[in-house]
Amino acid sequence: MSKLSKDMSKDEKKLMRQMYWRSFTLYSAVTPAKQGASGFEYSMLPFINKFYKKKQDKKEAMVRQMSYFNTNLAMAPFVMGVTASMEKQNSESDDFNAESINAIKTSLMGPLAGIGDSIFWGVLRVIAAGIAISLAKNGNIAAPIIFLLLFNIPVQLVRWYGGQLGYTLGSNYIGELYEKGLINILTKAASIVGLMMVGAMTSNMVKFDLKWNMVVGGKTILKSQQMLNQIFIGILPLAITLLCFWLLKKKNVSINWLILGTIVISILLALVGVV
Amino acid sequence: MYEAFAVAIVVFLTVGGQELLGFSMLGRPIVIGPLVGLLLGDVKTGLMIGASLETIFMGIVNIGGASAAEPGLASALAVAFAIMMHGGLGVALPLAIPLGIIGLQIKTLIYVAVVGPFASKFDSMAEKGNQKGIVRLHFGLWALQWFLYSLIPFFAMLFGSEATQRVLKMILTIIVHGLTVAGNVLPAVGMAMLMKILWDKNISAFYFLGFLIVAYLKMPLIAVAVMGAIIAILVAQRDYQLHGLVEKVSARPATTNTNTTETKDEQENDDFFS
Repeated sequence: MSKLSKDMSKDEKKLMRQMYWRSFTLYSAVTPAKQGASGFEYSMLPFINKFYKKKQDKKEAMVRQMSYFNTNLAMAPFVMGVTASMEKQNSESDDFNAESINAIKTSLMGPLAGIGDSIFWGVLRVIAAGIAISLAKNGNIAAPIIFLLLFNIPVQLVRWYGGQLGYTLGSNYIGELYEKGLINILTKAASIVGLMMVGAMTSNMVKFDLKWNMVVGGKTILKSQQMLNQIFIGILPLAITLLCFWLLKKKNVSINWLILGTIVISILLALVGVV
Repeated sequence: MYEAFAVAIVVFLTVGGQELLGFSMLGRPIVIGPLVGLLLGDVKTGLMIGASLETIFMGIVNIGGASAAEPGLASALAVAFAIMMHGGLGVALPLAIPLGIIGLQIKTLIYVAVVGPFASKFDSMAEKGNQKGIVRLHFGLWALQWFLYSLIPFFAMLFGSEATQRVLKMILTIIVHGLTVAGNVLPAVGMAMLMKILWDKNISAFYFLGFLIVAYLKMPLIAVAVMGAIIAILVAQRDYQLHGLVEKVSARPATTNTNTTETKDEQENDDFFS
């Protein structure tokens, strides 16, 4: 794997190390509206300072990297590596479309969040916890340490090499893709995977079941949830998600209001006994 | 007093610490249980209860910023109370579940009300190129939110398990139920955020495809990702061929057609996004 950093200069290797350490704090100041934006910015600052000489260019790059960012933490360095390599190309050529940096960044984070969450949360964590639980039930004091090692060693390897892989891939291919006008194809393909994952996660994670049943003369004549399931499984979670999406996109409702509204409406519906 | 400090520090360093040391799983019950046990002088009980709580909270993960419970606070307090009252899982379990739900609500409250408003502050600092300010705020907000969060276990320990239980009872079960419902619906907001970035009317059908194959075929997420990748490769191949054709066509003199269609597409996109 040392091949990855073979072509990097000494400065670049140092930057990659800084990125690895700084990316640990991605979600230190996570906000509802922009998630890990500040952590991404913090990880990008060494690159921005290195690549850009003019003050105005630096400011523009800083604004760019402060955009919404949310992905699986183990996958984040890979995205950072790609982004950093694109910032480098942007700093070196005059006609580079800086907007494509954020396009690639956002199209990567969707699928990587999906893949990373299923691999690390769904598989690796469950395996590590399963082993640790059986050890702990037998009174083995090392259980928590084994849990942490089983989980963190693969994660740190992915974080360390992922960052270098992203930077190398970005340096070698993104510029070439961009010059050939193929970046739109890449963006579209990445967005397809992303949207499918978001659809799958909507079905998997958003839960909303009606408890309300129509009762006439002591007899239940209509079970609302059962009826809805016959029409389409998960129709309500899907509708709620699409409503949130519509409010966000078309009505520019802020994410804070959406979260607050969801909580208040859920409590009200629970009070009435609908859910 | 010592117990209150010990538990508060454990919560600060594990539940808070895992946000600083990203994705290290420090705040899981299997780690917190024995750690609290160690500080309160009963590692064995801590280990046992930690393992049991890990099984219970196994399904609860934090994806896309939304979750159903915060297992860290629940584990720390449940284990501490169980050790101090010389009880086992019987003491810990009835406490842990409501504590986990309440803990998540308080965490969400801090996340939305305390840290949330600073999102625009970060933006204005970036515009001014204020790097030091960004770094300071980045870490300052971390310290602030987890200090606030650690006050809960501190006071809960100070007032004891009976008082904590009384407070828990005072919070109406119906509200707790409502908050649980909210916790299940909130991922919708996270999904909507992602859709806002990825949505394009040409490919929006794939969102519904992803939903359908999980709702009806119960396909695991990783299989959906592979399937998505296959579709994406096929689409990219077709697009690449089209791209090659367009280049061949535009190499000839009659290029006006392709230009007008592009601008029309762009206009439509602009309409859609506005």
